[in-house]
Amino acid sequence: MGVETWAPEGLLTTRTADLINWGRANSLWPMPFGVACCAIEMMATLASNYDMSRFGAEAIRFSPRQSDLMIVSGRISLKMMPVLFKIWEQMPEPKWCISMGACASCGGIFDTYAMTQGVDRFIPVDVYIPGCPPRPETLLDALMKIQEIVAAERLDAHDAQA
Amino acid sequence: MSDLQQRALSAVEERFGDDFLGADSHAGQHWAEVKRDRIVEVLTMLRDELGFDMLTDLTAVDYLDKGERERFAIVYVLYNMAEKGNFRVKAWVPEDDPEIDTASNVWLAAPWAEREVFDMYGITFAGHSDLRRILLPDWYEGHPLRKDYPLEGHGERHDFERYRS
Repeated sequence: MGVETWAPEGLLTTRTADLINWGRANSLWPMPFGVACCAIEMMATLASNYDMSRFGAEAIRFSPRQSDLMIVSGRISLKMMPVLFKIWEQMPEPKWCISMGACASCGGIFDTYAMTQGVDRFIPVDVYIPGCPPRPETLLDALMKIQEIVAAERLDAHDAQA
Repeated sequence: MSDLQQRALSAVEERFGDDFLGADSHAGQHWAEVKRDRIVEVLTMLRDELGFDMLTDLTAVDYLDKGERERFAIVYVLYNMAEKGNFRVKAWVPEDDPEIDTASNVWLAAPWAEREVFDMYGITFAGHSDLRRILLPDWYEGHPLRKDYPLEGHGERHDFERYRS
């Protein structure tokens, strides 16, 4: 198969995009935006029993500038929305977002004057997780779906739109 | 009615006869209804002479269209730690002049509870040192727990900028 037939043993060839996406997918550093009850389940997922670090998501950085996956877990109120927006803006590209739970996805049971009805009205969400709260396995499944999304991306998928 | 509540009720009735509007109870909790004019004196008397040293809660009720005396009532839930007893005081506040004196000088728990009442009902507290919203953002308009305010609000929850990468 081309180069691998005559090159020394142990040499692999691949596409640049595949290599870069493999690196990104297997080292997603979460920015846990835990604001309410879903944060408890997110903590459970990050802890030893369900262990998200098995998937490479080991470095939980509460600094947005050092992370690439934001997990919005919990209801976002009017006061919190500008904060969420600012944190999202501070994350460097490429970045992905998981909307965890019913409240972050659509407002949940809080169809009231002070709760945003889903964060996807304001920031782009890649994977939605239903549940109130979702089980840790569901969050792990969402992480795996993000990994699939990342692995299939074009390299210029996150370039600034002209 | 417990002895403590009986004494509290009698004290309010005897000392503030003109302002005393009645008493009632529900599920073992008794309260005295008063006019709002001398509320600080009523509360100070209850604290100093009857030992209600703790303000457990300060909240309001909106009786819109229920045919009550006035539209709003401020409810003070008092607790006597030594004798371990509750007592409530209800002060009526009219709709066209929603103001009452602050209880900040009587109990330290009052200021933030009064800010919450202001935030949710729009009732102002005369003499309050820092009367501003406490739960909702400062730019919010309207007082949501009034009975004529819609549950979904007036669109503030959709009114944020959208991220453009």
